[in-house]
Amino acid sequence: MASPSTSTQPDATGAPASYLDLPAERRAAYQSHTALLCKTAAEIARELPLQADETDFARVLTEEARP
Amino acid sequence: MTVSGDLSKLSAVALAAALRERKVSSEEATAATLERLAAAHELTHCVIAMEKEEALAAARTADKALAAGAARGALAGVPLAHKDMFDRAGKIASWGAKIRADKPAAADATVIARLKDAGSVYAAALHLTEFAFGPTGHNYVLGHARNPWDPARITGGSSAGTAAAVAYGAIPAGLGSDTAGSLRVPAACCGVASIKPTWSRVSRAGGMPLAPCLDTVGFIARHVEDLALLLGTVAGADPRDPATSHLPVPDYMARLDDPVRGLKIGVDAALIGDAHPDVQKLVDATLAVFAKIGLERRACTFAGWQTIDHLTQLAQLPEAASEHYHYLRSRPGDYGPQVRARLEAAHFVPGVDHLTAKRARGTILKRTLDSVFKDCDVAILPVLPDPLPTIAELDVAGSPSVAALLGRFIRFTRAINYLGLPTVVLPTPRSGGLPNGVQIIGRPFSEARLLAIGKAYQREVPPEIAQRLQ
Repeated sequence: MASPSTSTQPDATGAPASYLDLPAERRAAYQSHTALLCKTAAEIARELPLQADETDFARVLTEEARP
Repeated sequence: MTVSGDLSKLSAVALAAALRERKVSSEEATAATLERLAAAHELTHCVIAMEKEEALAAARTADKALAAGAARGALAGVPLAHKDMFDRAGKIASWGAKIRADKPAAADATVIARLKDAGSVYAAALHLTEFAFGPTGHNYVLGHARNPWDPARITGGSSAGTAAAVAYGAIPAGLGSDTAGSLRVPAACCGVASIKPTWSRVSRAGGMPLAPCLDTVGFIARHVEDLALLLGTVAGADPRDPATSHLPVPDYMARLDDPVRGLKIGVDAALIGDAHPDVQKLVDATLAVFAKIGLERRACTFAGWQTIDHLTQLAQLPEAASEHYHYLRSRPGDYGPQVRARLEAAHFVPGVDHLTAKRARGTILKRTLDSVFKDCDVAILPVLPDPLPTIAELDVAGSPSVAALLGRFIRFTRAINYLGLPTVVLPTPRSGGLPNGVQIIGRPFSEARLLAIGKAYQREVPPEIAQRLQ
């Protein structure tokens, strides 16, 4: 594993995690895994109501509670 | 009662009763616990910090209160030990890492405070995977944990030390946390029980955050009755953790003997079919016990399991990367290779996909409840996909394949965190072999029912203390 930069300056390149100074093959492996996950997000987004909200989760947990 | 021998077999509930009846003193029980923790550590590497003098002093204080009839807590004088990721006033928790909080905590974590209020004695801080970010018990900074049944095999993680110490008989129970399987996996690997409560049932205030949208605090124990007592001790709303639920906390101890005969248990045969054939046999053996205690088997389907697993990662990874943003920039060399690799990977999830996963969570939860629990009261899944692996087999460090390898390892647990559902892990009938476990999953806040099923199961499959097999 390459030794990452210890810079505390903001990233200038705009690339994800540029401050970590990742070797190309490692960056490619991470991008490949993430692409798979993001494909799922795109599929879910197609069927998700516009009103869906992060707070829905706690509300559903409470509404469906069976103590 | 012979102090060091018989105490190791007692549940916390039974030990608390023995202390109240003055059959044993807290000082004796605590000294025996410290002795057994040291022995357990030698075999399993389960302890991060032993707190001998403070524990014995607390035990003597408890003994005075017990003698004066002034000890009111349900755990008065009971020695416990916990995963080292919860704040304690004046102490620095290790988080299983070289990088840790840089100053002592100002106050106890809520769960630590509630256990202390109930009278328990803190005996030791226990091992965990670095930053609780890893399901196997490997820790490339502090050393790997070893399984008390076979020290060449993993304990599971991240609550590795708690599971090893409980299985060894050093403590009856202890705290852990679960973001993707960190209570359930080590419980299964070490052949003990655990409860991962509904997300928001237990305060995380003062606990090390990994991914707060998934983080859940719970317990590992040999006896299900201890899970009930301890959960009842710490559960409930907490102003320090605004996410905690305000729903009333049931009396889990009073509900332990609720009837379970006639309850319907859902079996997703296709999903379980992804597990190794030996694991499928263990699930069948467990279902045979459930049939004996009166549970009725039904078919069910966890639709879109892979999708939910992906959404869990999308929700989890940016939160974990954000928690570590400062340290990854300023002290990257102080991370072990596996956690660093996973945190590096986490940077590649776009914000829009992270938020989509979180926005979809309520919809996916409702859909899952409507399908899985339409005809079932609870459902069963394996915890591990394979028979208990060796430490060497899963020693993948920071390899680029780490996401895929660990992803398979937690394929039955991670998605449950996205759904936020409560689960109880029970050890499968062992028949002389290595330990393994199943998870019983319930509807939101149905912990009392899950615990009642667990208690009935343990009448048929009693808890065991680990015996070295290899």
